[in-house]
Amino acid sequence: MRASKESTARPAASGAAGRSARARARRRATTADIAMMAPPLVLVAGLIIVPIAIAVYLSFTDWNGFTSPPHLIGFRNYVRLTEDSAVRHAAFLTLLITAVGTVACNVLGLGVALLLNRNNRINAFLRVLVFYPYVVGAVILGFLWSSILGTSGAVNAAVGAKHSLPFLSDPTWAVVTVICVIVWSSFGVNVVLYLAGLQTVPDSVIEAAKIDGATPWQTFWRVKLPMLAPTVTVNVVLVVIGLLRVYELILALTAGGPAGETRSFVYNILTSSFDNTQLGYGAAQSVVLMVVIVTVTVAITAARRRSEQAVAA
Amino acid sequence: MSSRTAKASLAAGLALSVCALAGCSSSSGPAAGGGGARTGNIRVLANITPVLTKAYYQGLVAPFVKSHPGVTVTIESPSGTNVQSTLQQELVSGSAPDIVASTLDPVVAQQMIAFPDSSWVTSTPLSDSNKVDGKIWQVATGQQNQSLVYYNQTAFQKAGITTPPKSLAEFTADLAKLKGAGYVGLQTAGEWVTGAQFSMMANPGLLGDDPGWYAERNKKKVTFEQSAYNTYLKAYEGWIKTGAVPKNSLGEKYQTSIDTFLAGKSGMFVMGSWLNASVNSAKNLSFKVGVFPTPTADGSTPKQMSGQAQPYSILKSSKHQGLALDLVKYLVTDKSAVTASLKSEGNFRAGYSYPGTELDAAVGKIVDTAPGTVNGTAGPGVNAGFGNELNTVVQSLYTGESADKAVAKLDSWWNANAGQ
Repeated sequence: MRASKESTARPAASGAAGRSARARARRRATTADIAMMAPPLVLVAGLIIVPIAIAVYLSFTDWNGFTSPPHLIGFRNYVRLTEDSAVRHAAFLTLLITAVGTVACNVLGLGVALLLNRNNRINAFLRVLVFYPYVVGAVILGFLWSSILGTSGAVNAAVGAKHSLPFLSDPTWAVVTVICVIVWSSFGVNVVLYLAGLQTVPDSVIEAAKIDGATPWQTFWRVKLPMLAPTVTVNVVLVVIGLLRVYELILALTAGGPAGETRSFVYNILTSSFDNTQLGYGAAQSVVLMVVIVTVTVAITAARRRSEQAVAA
Repeated sequence: MSSRTAKASLAAGLALSVCALAGCSSSSGPAAGGGGARTGNIRVLANITPVLTKAYYQGLVAPFVKSHPGVTVTIESPSGTNVQSTLQQELVSGSAPDIVASTLDPVVAQQMIAFPDSSWVTSTPLSDSNKVDGKIWQVATGQQNQSLVYYNQTAFQKAGITTPPKSLAEFTADLAKLKGAGYVGLQTAGEWVTGAQFSMMANPGLLGDDPGWYAERNKKKVTFEQSAYNTYLKAYEGWIKTGAVPKNSLGEKYQTSIDTFLAGKSGMFVMGSWLNASVNSAKNLSFKVGVFPTPTADGSTPKQMSGQAQPYSILKSSKHQGLALDLVKYLVTDKSAVTASLKSEGNFRAGYSYPGTELDAAVGKIVDTAPGTVNGTAGPGVNAGFGNELNTVVQSLYTGESADKAVAKLDSWWNANAGQ
């Protein structure tokens, strides 16, 4: 804009002088752009890039978080990661929680959103009800469910000792319980996002589909769902990131037990870093998690984009 | 990047900055008991429990504050999962407290001042056994004893048990009798409780004849497989198999396990002497609580697994070291403060007494007749995180792991973590 003004203001300028003026204008524009971008750049560098760099550096050390200085030990932490059965188990559990949780949160989220996609008082109340667990802290929810599902909890007290159910004491039951509670506590936000997405589907398109004789299922599958594609992408990415770093709820619900069976990857990072005072080893696990999260996020986004483009075409 | 990873990284970054600014010195700051202003605010990071509340600590320091014009004391509760992790986070963010009131792993010792070689320091309980590099860095008001079995006297009567068991074999037989009488033989819980109870029972056997066992394990001269831990793990495996200890015990929280025991549903409960406070404050108990020392393999009287009760450390980074030292000296030597501290958790200290209950007296008798003390699963020579690993391994017995595999896991973990 600025360059075009100058060119109209001085149409008779010679070619060299014009180029020089345009170059000056570009430099001024660049300087202004950099000046405007500087604050966010400093923030990004200070809060993300520098910490990542330091975490990567620490992952190559044996630092315990107290003594100093950290000693470089090469790739030893990363080699140890591959040999550590606790890390392997935590990684498997986290992937299981992420896979099952992502499907469950999105299917439930979309299903409930479709049920609540009409504006009336009851639905407004139900929306709040569904979203409520997401608002309450994960630690509080963990303790709440622990008191409900524990060996002496409300459910087992109700069914009696003879029919006692090992929700939190048997490894398989505990994993299932953890996944169920995580999904219950998380899918409220998916409902809200899907509801927002459904509001963007034009009524005229749905009306047109009805006039064409589409059944409700066909309307959902052929009209609503394709138009919700961007919302699905956002929901899947959010849930995956959230579940890959699940920790607080497990801490309060099972404390990683029984026998470490419900210890997630982040739980293991914190155990290594703080309980075992092996911050270098914990940093190596954090770096691996970071790489996984970035890779998965990019992969999902790319896959969804291709899918959306295919639908649009 | 996850926000948690970002936070951890930021904290680590701050740590490096702090370290660089401090020159990574281990001897900076005024000498212990030396300089430092005699007025100001002292921050105390304390282990907050249902008994050791903020109000408790505030009451404890109140007379000191009153007699020191210009001095205030702020009691801080942990923001992390425990005191040590909170301290680690505060150290890396450059906002460490002046005093820490909690048992800490020796790995933290380098951040603490060495207490002076004075009689008031050396006379504090277990000051010698917790030295790191010959320096006393924690001083306690009292001593906790943990190799204790609390029992339901009514349940024992109904089960036909006339005298408390002394050997593992007698203990196992009594568990069966209690189950037959309709009781849970041994009350336990998930969280940290399972492993802690195991170490309370087995550590006298592991360390009783060889206090340097952990050091020898680090030199690979001994193994868990050939130790008393193996004997106790096998016994424990049997208790689970026979149902004397319910398989679903791990679904209990610590507080619930106390409540269940006090509700009269279980026969025995292995716990430290701090349980006295809960028993003493329980209202309308339907039975009388007794206590005896944990069983040994041969029936002999065990040494007591003991720990420093309500210990204090002073940070090297404190700008009020002199004043902090005055406060710690007051807390561990003032008769009223020490007595209040001992009474709060049913702790002990030679030369101090307080009016207690029949149960307090019974525990005191066990302590007096014990042939000595042994350490817990933390302390000099013990790799950080061993307590957590032991807990996981003992819990694995409940999930179908054999005692043989469990003890092998301990050796494997120790080999992987020694000297980390």
